[in-house]
Amino acid sequence: MSEILEFWGEWLPTLLDGLLVSLKVTAASLALGIPLGLVLALAVKAKSAPLRIAALIAVEIGRGTPALVLLQFTYFGLASTGLTLSSYAAAVAALAACTGAYTSEIIRAGLEAVPQGQSEAAIAIGFSRMDQLRYVVLPQGLRIAVPPLLGFSILIFQSTSLCYAIALPELMSQAYSVGSNTFRYMPILILAGLLFAAICIPATLLVSRLEHRLDRHTR
Amino acid sequence: MIQTPILKPGPRQDGPHPDHAAAGRPQPSAPVVRIENLVKRYGAYVALHEIGFELKSGEVVAIIGPSGSGKSTLLRCVNQLEQPDGGCITVAGQRFEGGKEHSRAALDTLRRTVGMVFQSFNLFPHMTILRNVSIAQERVAGRSRKDAEDRAMHLLARVGLADKAGQYPARCSGGQQQRIAIARALALDPQIMLFDEPTSALDPELGLEVLAVMRELAESGMTMIVVTHEMRFAENVSDRVVVMADGRVIEEGPSRELMRDPKTERTQRFLHAVRDR
Ligand SMILES: Nc1ncnc2c1ncn2[C@@H]1O[C@H](COP(=O)(O)OP(=O)(O)O)[C@@H](O)[C@H]1O
Ligand SMILES: [Mg+2]
Repeated sequence: MSEILEFWGEWLPTLLDGLLVSLKVTAASLALGIPLGLVLALAVKAKSAPLRIAALIAVEIGRGTPALVLLQFTYFGLASTGLTLSSYAAAVAALAACTGAYTSEIIRAGLEAVPQGQSEAAIAIGFSRMDQLRYVVLPQGLRIAVPPLLGFSILIFQSTSLCYAIALPELMSQAYSVGSNTFRYMPILILAGLLFAAICIPATLLVSRLEHRLDRHTR
Repeated sequence: MIQTPILKPGPRQDGPHPDHAAAGRPQPSAPVVRIENLVKRYGAYVALHEIGFELKSGEVVAIIGPSGSGKSTLLRCVNQLEQPDGGCITVAGQRFEGGKEHSRAALDTLRRTVGMVFQSFNLFPHMTILRNVSIAQERVAGRSRKDAEDRAMHLLARVGLADKAGQYPARCSGGQQQRIAIARALALDPQIMLFDEPTSALDPELGLEVLAVMRELAESGMTMIVVTHEMRFAENVSDRVVVMADGRVIEEGPSRELMRDPKTERTQRFLHAVRDR
């Protein structure tokens, strides 16, 4: 047992480097992907048919394509067309696209959950379409979307582990390389799993508490 | 039976905003709302069949009739929340023909001229009560925040809720929420107020405080169209009553006369049914 702890102690810094990369990729993907999701959600509800159809297609492609395929595409696929991205940039691009597609549905559901009467009241007091959205529908709809968005963020964090496939030195890749150097896969994978859990379990608890609080506050 | 005058009686203190002067406030006897041959369809279903009536400035009209008869639809056509399919609605001199697109400017003017109060209040739950009443003044009328808030406080005081200004709507009773909704609708100094069953979602005693505010508003000279099941309000506060059934106006007349001595058998049956409840 103490031997395993020693092994963990030796390689923990390596895994923490990987964890940091995972967190950075998660943060960047969300920072780009959630605004993209908002834009797609609005475009899917737009009056203009071409815009609507384009957005729908983008969302369906983003949701229909496995994240691993998106990653391979941004890293290897684009490289073959001459656009070479670093593994970090490719990871962020792929996961942001995935985030945009999924969160557009979450955000759209949030916006649609805002009662019709809210928009009608806004129209009746003369709000422009932009102001209806900005002051009435978005603040309420996004608030409804916060818990599922946070839940999705945890999934994106977990799916950074797929980035081992494009040689990004994130947590999972680091664990693999330690494993292949030391031939001790089991303990290092357990440590990686513990690190994932150390982030995901508190985050999940936090989300459900937040969900409760938001529930209590509205109506 | 309606006690506690919450609004101060006497001459109206919130006359039309100077901006409206340009649009030309109609002469006292000229119709401020004229509805002609109004038709509204939902798919193949005809919700309004060639409705027509007029409203003079300062007049209060109650619309009564069984559920599903098209009262809400009619009211919502007046401020173009629903687009009519035929006929014409003229509001404060501005014509809105059915089946046509209207310019943004025409709709903006319309919505500043017409205030609306909904059955379910529809206050903005994420804004304080003060903000609910001030925001349109800033965004739509372009008033400064200070002016908007001063005016909002004045209106909240008039509906008896100045002490609630900093709270959120969820903390208020239904009657209080509806009074705030009235203040919100008054904030842009409309010439006409539309009420769609403003007390139907309320317990009777909470309904009374809303009716008291409406009564004072009527006495202050506001032009009002009130869809209501409150027969006493229709009889005692409104000048005229319009009875609707199946998307048609089946009877209209001075309120006391119509309520006491309805001409059509359909109206008699309806009044009988609501009064028995
Ligand atoms: N958005 C809509 N789509 C389809 N039918 C509607 C819609 N709104 C109202 N209707 C129909 O129009 C009729 C009149 O409705 P409404 O104006 O709400 O009646 P009232 O307010 O007198 O109860 C009803 O039969 C209702 O079902
Ligand atoms: Mg109705």
